[in-house]
Amino acid sequence: MAQFICRYRKGDEVRWISHLDLKRTLERAMRRAALPLQLTEGHNPHPKLSFGPPLPLGATGDAELLTLRLHEAADPAAVKERLNRELPAGIEIVEAWALPGYKKKETFGNLDVADYRITVTGAFEAKGIADRVRKLLESEELLVRRGGNRPEREVDLRPMILSLVVAGSGEDGIELQARLQTGSHGGARPQEVVDLLGLGDERHLVRYHRTGLYASSAATPPRPGGVWRRWARSRSEPERSSSQ
Amino acid sequence: MLLSRVVKPARYTDGEWNAVHKDPASVRARVALVYPDVYDVGMSHLGLHILYHVVNSHDDLLAERAFAPWPDMEDQLRAQNLPLVSLESRTPLGDFDAIGITLPYELTYSNILNVLDLAGVPVRAVDRGPDDPLVIGGGPGAVNPEPLADFFDAILIGEGEEAIVEIAEAAALGDRREALAKLVEIPGVYVPSAYVPSFHGTGPRGTPVPRDGAPARIARRVVDDLDAAPFPTRQIVPYLDTVHSRATLEIMRGCARGCRFCQAGSVYRPRRQRSVETLLRQAEETIAATGYDEISLLAFTSVDYGGIEELAGRLVDRFGTRGIGIALPSLRADAFSVSLANTIQRVRKSGLTFAPEAGTARLRRVIGKRMEEDHLFAAAEAAFSSGWTRLKLYFMIGLPTETEEDVAAIGDLVHRLVKFGRGALGSRQNRLQVAVSAATFVPKPHTPFQWTPQNTQDDLARKHHILQQALRGRHIKLSWTDPGISALEAAVSRGDRRVGAAIERAWRAGARFDSWGELFDYGRWADAFRETGLEIADYANAALEYDTPLAWDHISCGPEKASLQAEAEQALAGEDA
Repeated sequence: MAQFICRYRKGDEVRWISHLDLKRTLERAMRRAALPLQLTEGHNPHPKLSFGPPLPLGATGDAELLTLRLHEAADPAAVKERLNRELPAGIEIVEAWALPGYKKKETFGNLDVADYRITVTGAFEAKGIADRVRKLLESEELLVRRGGNRPEREVDLRPMILSLVVAGSGEDGIELQARLQTGSHGGARPQEVVDLLGLGDERHLVRYHRTGLYASSAATPPRPGGVWRRWARSRSEPERSSSQ
Repeated sequence: MLLSRVVKPARYTDGEWNAVHKDPASVRARVALVYPDVYDVGMSHLGLHILYHVVNSHDDLLAERAFAPWPDMEDQLRAQNLPLVSLESRTPLGDFDAIGITLPYELTYSNILNVLDLAGVPVRAVDRGPDDPLVIGGGPGAVNPEPLADFFDAILIGEGEEAIVEIAEAAALGDRREALAKLVEIPGVYVPSAYVPSFHGTGPRGTPVPRDGAPARIARRVVDDLDAAPFPTRQIVPYLDTVHSRATLEIMRGCARGCRFCQAGSVYRPRRQRSVETLLRQAEETIAATGYDEISLLAFTSVDYGGIEELAGRLVDRFGTRGIGIALPSLRADAFSVSLANTIQRVRKSGLTFAPEAGTARLRRVIGKRMEEDHLFAAAEAAFSSGWTRLKLYFMIGLPTETEEDVAAIGDLVHRLVKFGRGALGSRQNRLQVAVSAATFVPKPHTPFQWTPQNTQDDLARKHHILQQALRGRHIKLSWTDPGISALEAAVSRGDRRVGAAIERAWRAGARFDSWGELFDYGRWADAFRETGLEIADYANAALEYDTPLAWDHISCGPEKASLQAEAEQALAGEDA
């Protein structure tokens, strides 16, 4: 029995498939790869997987995380390779590493911070953006309405926007970097930030790309291979997939 | 951005596992295969997977897919003046050599016109020029092609595995006139422009007459050897949760039951089955190529497969330990079926479904539904003792010779079943649920009941009221089909070429996705018929005469008119099939 963590990329080709669709897709790829998956007990067995915080529909990311459990120990590099052979274009395991002797199911419950790169193109005054960002960060309170299937309610986004900077701007667009609170205890969605900046209308083409997932909690226990923040970062790191 | 403004954007993106991408320059003919409903419905249709596989297995032919866009996507396309494109290469459908459209059933026909229009292809065949693709139809609806005759260059009657390649070869000729001349010669292919419709009074009276050289009758194409027929084991695996998200094995084609109302049973003869060895091999290949965790054994009634116990047992032996389940989508109402389902199905999904169709033994005899009440109760007993607590029962309202007593008897039958279920379930009886679904009888071409009138909408409403009164109680849930939808289905199903003009008018007035209750507008259809000079009732409620030539008599689907008439006479006399 062995547990593996995979960091994967959700690319352009699949940015319109939902998190549920993505999970099904990965499960099927694992079965095609004939990995010796551990299955749940009961009438309807399914592989024991857990996933990091879902990406919003339409967003891409390369700091996405999942765990899978196998009956037997395996070389993480081989797991990665076998899986990648069976994954459709746009989904790719970027690195995989084993958690030796690790019995508890890792559920990524403590990941609560996400970095997004937000690119906006279209007709707008690029000069005014820095002012709007500053004004937004100076606000005491940023109330947004949330509804969906549930009754509408107001949420204050301000404490959930940890940082927001204009990383670049030009004639035809700008790039923003946002660090947002995420996860089950409440979070800001990148679209909401874009709406607050007045860029969410039809004249703008907005792309969201998640570049990092972190745990803010100091109590995060060290894990083999480092702490959460290092696992989830998408920037180049030492190749770890064959080191375990 | 288009996709950020529609629901389920993955309906319009591709890249699913096993989708085929080819260089268009490397092929002689490009075919767009269209299913005229949304992606999630169309991708559950096995026929589409089969044809996609057959065409793409030829190196010099290419098939790509397209589906009817949901109204939100249609609005986006029209607002931005964009054509409907194929999923794989995003090629506008108008640029293909042929567009092949499935005719699943009558209420999708407005979508067909909409797809052609969004593709920038003239909806009427006569308006198409040398640069337009050939528009080819095929599928269950093809057995009466007349309502669609004006919109299609050709319609294949019957099974497509072999014919689609011959049709693609015709499309490869490049020249429209040459291609049509070639299509007329392909067995099973109906070229409407080679026939002159003839009308005798109201309703579908009068049979189209062939022009020079065209065959007087088109015989349905049938695949002789199902075991040797091509079958897609590299089935495309959708990202979206579709109606059937599982591997499909077609274990049998055709039905030996002979229910007199059933068009599929009548026109898919003879019954053919694949061998156990072939199915085991196809199961292995499909699972390896798709990664699905369930295999569905597809047939009109899968337990009628000769050797079903052996097949099911060997599949369970082989796949059970790998966490892959086996599903029987269609059961017979008897104890054997239930115990088989209990043995092999690991997921107790929504409950078990049986189709008594009628409330009395007399009426079941009329419609040729051979189901004894004893068997139904034995099936229910087996279901309850195996742990099921929910049953779904299909009935049909408005059947030939049906009286109000027959309708009331449905209530009686259901109440006896509920009482029985409460006894059988004991302490778990509060979980008991019997869902009763009352569909409307629709007279269909090529069945013994093709001459029979459908009940008027007033009659149907009265019968629904009887049902509502009779089926009260906390364990019972009743649903029925809107009489207006049923009337339209009957009118189009028994339609002639004039009905096509009404379909076009309804589509221009906004008809889309008529089978999705929320988008159906009966008034729009009634107006469209009337403005065309027709009445829905003349097609739906007419009692047609045995000796009158009918609008679909030039299509031969197997049973000849004389034998259908004999069956009809036996039925109305209350004799067994």
